[in-house]
Amino acid sequence: MNRHSTRRAFLASVGVGMATFAGCLGDSRGSRDAAGVSTLGEETTAAGDAQPGPPTRPDALPLPWPAGDVAGRAVSGGPPKDGIPSIDDPSFESAADADSDLDPGDPVFGLAVDGDVRAYPQAILVSHEICNDVVAGQPVSVTYCPLTGTAMGFERGDTTFGVSGRLVNNNLVMYDRATETWWPQVLATGVPGPWNSPEETRSLREFRLVWTTWGRWRDQHPDTEVLSRDTGFAKNYDRDPYGSYNPRRGYYAPESTPLFSSPSDDDRLATKTVVLGARTTAGAVAFEKDRLRNERLVAGDLAGTPVLAVYDDALDTGYVYRNPDERAFDSSDGTVEDENGETHDPDSLPLDRVLAFDAMWFAWSGFYPDTSLHA
Amino acid sequence: MPDATPAGTRGRPGVLERTRAALAVVSRRWDARLVFSAATLGYLVVYLATVGDLSVAASGRGPLSVRVADDLSRALASLGFFRYGAVAVVSAGPVTYLFSPLNAALAVALAVLVGANLALTYLGLVQPQACGLESSTGVLAGIPALLSGAACCGPTILLVLGVQASATVITGFQYLVPLAVAMLVGSLLLVGRNVDPALL
Repeated sequence: MNRHSTRRAFLASVGVGMATFAGCLGDSRGSRDAAGVSTLGEETTAAGDAQPGPPTRPDALPLPWPAGDVAGRAVSGGPPKDGIPSIDDPSFESAADADSDLDPGDPVFGLAVDGDVRAYPQAILVSHEICNDVVAGQPVSVTYCPLTGTAMGFERGDTTFGVSGRLVNNNLVMYDRATETWWPQVLATGVPGPWNSPEETRSLREFRLVWTTWGRWRDQHPDTEVLSRDTGFAKNYDRDPYGSYNPRRGYYAPESTPLFSSPSDDDRLATKTVVLGARTTAGAVAFEKDRLRNERLVAGDLAGTPVLAVYDDALDTGYVYRNPDERAFDSSDGTVEDENGETHDPDSLPLDRVLAFDAMWFAWSGFYPDTSLHA
Repeated sequence: MPDATPAGTRGRPGVLERTRAALAVVSRRWDARLVFSAATLGYLVVYLATVGDLSVAASGRGPLSVRVADDLSRALASLGFFRYGAVAVVSAGPVTYLFSPLNAALAVALAVLVGANLALTYLGLVQPQACGLESSTGVLAGIPALLSGAACCGPTILLVLGVQASATVITGFQYLVPLAVAMLVGSLLLVGRNVDPALL
């Protein structure tokens, strides 16, 4: 590994780590994220401490419908509760061992925090959707919904998440095994369901997973651990029942139809076009990933606040920052230069970072119909 | 005492008996046995492939490997649509088979029914006068079960066709396997009804 990639690996690790356990990713914690202060304890809400179930954030994320209406929009995909089994006792292997199962272009969801660097292959999670793991001593859930193309991380506390078998806007509805509350993945918010009706509307503490390819992740993190196929379940991890990302086809093709109807009627982009979306209590913003790839810096608007999306070509991902003063940046050679000539890695600009993640356009616009779009 | 049995039905065996007799002919004739075996095996392979238990990958995983699940009770776990959990992954070259005892039992039952239907249809074609058999719709009756395969979150056939699912459609998919069984059994009895064991 050369010095550049070593430094990048370190920064990415620290950056994501901070992002992760600062809970940064909420709208009011980004500065802590940038400062690198882990505020896990501070951010756990009083309600979250007092109640069983996963830890929650102090402010609830917006819902597209009244909380009591969400469950009524849920459909059964066929499998019953836990018919899609979460991985509750994951094991990991080295990058060298994982090379025999992964093509460099295969998607993985990367997580790096406090020296723990892990990749979760999409090929495995498509059969499980949830991996209840412990990273850097912290119980977390790495979650993936194949139908909406969303990979998201959540703190889980002493409980674990399972797959309810229901879908809202085609999106995985998780449930926590302590209270049996339904938590639609993208909404990240507990809603009244048939198994429990929480009195308060609370949102999960979430963290960023990097949707990238195995080759890119391995290059940046040669010492990464990789979720092993030895999951304890008899599954065929060579077969994706929905299609393929490498190359992209089947259900994942941009123009293809969602499996279930979606409330989205926004046709500004093809249904499965990948957007980098960010949402806060104030609103939502989406950046078309292809445009971000091409332009590397895209200015946008999140509920009236200027934001800046930054492309990271090392991992083919992006980050979204609040930029209220509309500071000027320039991108070149994989780094971002500010108005003072200082260079920054794409994941560590001196701005307030907002949690952002990849999603299929129909899913994003279905959940956040008032989202601004920069395509 | 007068015979109360109506003329024309005296001594005529019932549907089940006639079907059993027709199947006995299948078991005696090598050509019918061949048709039965080929149809059963063919349907078994196609069914297991469509429900996702049997697949072929471009890149093989070595000569032979078997990976067994930690929790064998997964065999009883419902995955929806009359599908159950697998307890072992068997890979041989490019072929991977997920061994689910209940899925396998269901697949064998369906395949045997399809094989029997096809074998009787064959007898009807080669010996129409002797057996009085008509062409069977039994093979077509096996199609609904082939459509019952499901991905993690929905019916595979809808993914292939790009058709959007609804709650009603999903509910309907749950009846495909029972529908196939009912149609296959009904078809078999339909053929058996036309068999006169005296002619066999």
